[in-house]
Amino acid sequence: MPEPKSFKTEAKDHTPPVPSPDNHGLISAWTIALCVTIALIILLPWMQPDPYLNILRFIPDGIWVTFEITVLSISLAIVIGLLTGLGRISSNRFINLIASLYVEVVRGIPLLVQLFYIYYALGRFIRVPDLVAAVIAMAFCYGAYMGEVFRAGIKSINYGQVEASLSLGFNHRQTMVYVILPQAWRTIMPPVGNEFIALLKDTSLVSILAVADILRRGREYAAESFNYFETYTMIALIYLLITLILSKLIAIMELRLSYYERR
Amino acid sequence: MLLNLLAFFLFFTMFNPSYAETTIVFATDATWPPMEFVDAQKQIVGYAIDFMTAAGKEAGFKPVFKNTAWDGIFAGLADGKYDAIVSSVSITEERKKAMDFSESYFTVHQALIVAKGSTAKNLSDLKGQKVGAQIGTTGYFALKDTGVEAKSYDEIGLAMEDLRVGRIAAVVCDDPVATNYALHKYKESLKIGAILETGVVEKYGVAVAKGNTVTLALINKGIIAVKAKGLNKGLKKKWIGQE
Repeated sequence: MPEPKSFKTEAKDHTPPVPSPDNHGLISAWTIALCVTIALIILLPWMQPDPYLNILRFIPDGIWVTFEITVLSISLAIVIGLLTGLGRISSNRFINLIASLYVEVVRGIPLLVQLFYIYYALGRFIRVPDLVAAVIAMAFCYGAYMGEVFRAGIKSINYGQVEASLSLGFNHRQTMVYVILPQAWRTIMPPVGNEFIALLKDTSLVSILAVADILRRGREYAAESFNYFETYTMIALIYLLITLILSKLIAIMELRLSYYERR
Repeated sequence: MLLNLLAFFLFFTMFNPSYAETTIVFATDATWPPMEFVDAQKQIVGYAIDFMTAAGKEAGFKPVFKNTAWDGIFAGLADGKYDAIVSSVSITEERKKAMDFSESYFTVHQALIVAKGSTAKNLSDLKGQKVGAQIGTTGYFALKDTGVEAKSYDEIGLAMEDLRVGRIAAVVCDDPVATNYALHKYKESLKIGAILETGVVEKYGVAVAKGNTVTLALINKGIIAVKAKGLNKGLKKKWIGQE
């Protein structure tokens, strides 16, 4: 068949040379961003210790709190997401309805409003410490998004596999646990990684609950010293450094996971 | 479009009767009852608002109040987004380095608000416990080096809410505000535990950008006139309930 060949060359002629995102030369956007960020984080405090070095000294416990909330929330959100994802493809009408309702409601309310709601509105009935409230709110919100990731991941496995598995004598639960989930895992992991970064950034919202995260610590410093420009520059750089490193780790993970597909 | 807007603006300013008067834009964080807050009609009202309106009448300027979040209110002043801040700003040495202050228009103390059942009389009674205050206020600075775990809130009302549900042990803020919450709004659950001895007399002043002497002179003229006429006594009675 000759036609695919001619089609290919024609397409090649008209495609402008856009650099592929996979083309990891030395001068990639990521490398430049990382180098500039690190350089600024080191150079600014070195050249101007007051206020930059003071800001760097003030913020670290905030970084710890941010990580704590992120890791706890994402762990909880993955559990909620798995249950929701399974619930959304369940043939049980009732479970399916509950899971769908949860996703619809949570995705329709802004995270900031959810945080206020769980902390201040429900605070009258359930007295939980601020950190716990923050984690519950973040996990509750991201659980819904994660549920959709899991559902898509499970759906990406050809239904033929379910049929094959059932015909081999597996029941539905075994099919899911031994056949579908181990394969869906590879589709699910990269978006979960992206959600992790998104969640880390969104934890800056919990500063409104007076949780002493990176942003709250920075605002406290700025409110006292009036060094708004310097403080927020430093905060932006710290967040950027963290997300740049994490995004690289996730890109590496993605590469490893897609190993089998590349054969 | 731009031309239209400009024409409209010109028209508006030319036929505005108060054009001859100087307009001074005041930023205020209207979450601080009874000094400045938003009432049910969505108007910014309070002691400080009435005071500045009276001062404007005396000195011949037209005050415009702009509701601004506390966190960043000083940054906005430095950037020239408004002419002055009247938002219960206590005059402190640190703040004087960053901005200029008018004559004081109110004297305050830092009050410690606790739950009804609490016996705390001082910050040292609350060592290791969580105590809240609004971010960047003198109340929050008073928590430093006292052994309590300081928590900074965006608004004082949120700190009060946390105190009411028992997440924190106390809140520190200016006494007029403390009175408003502990003796009126939440009188069934909160009380004023003590007036803190911070060692300095705290006075509210109007803040203007450093070097803005024209605006400062005008505001000072108004404040002094209001005080000389004794108008502030009536305002105290109206908003705080005592002279």
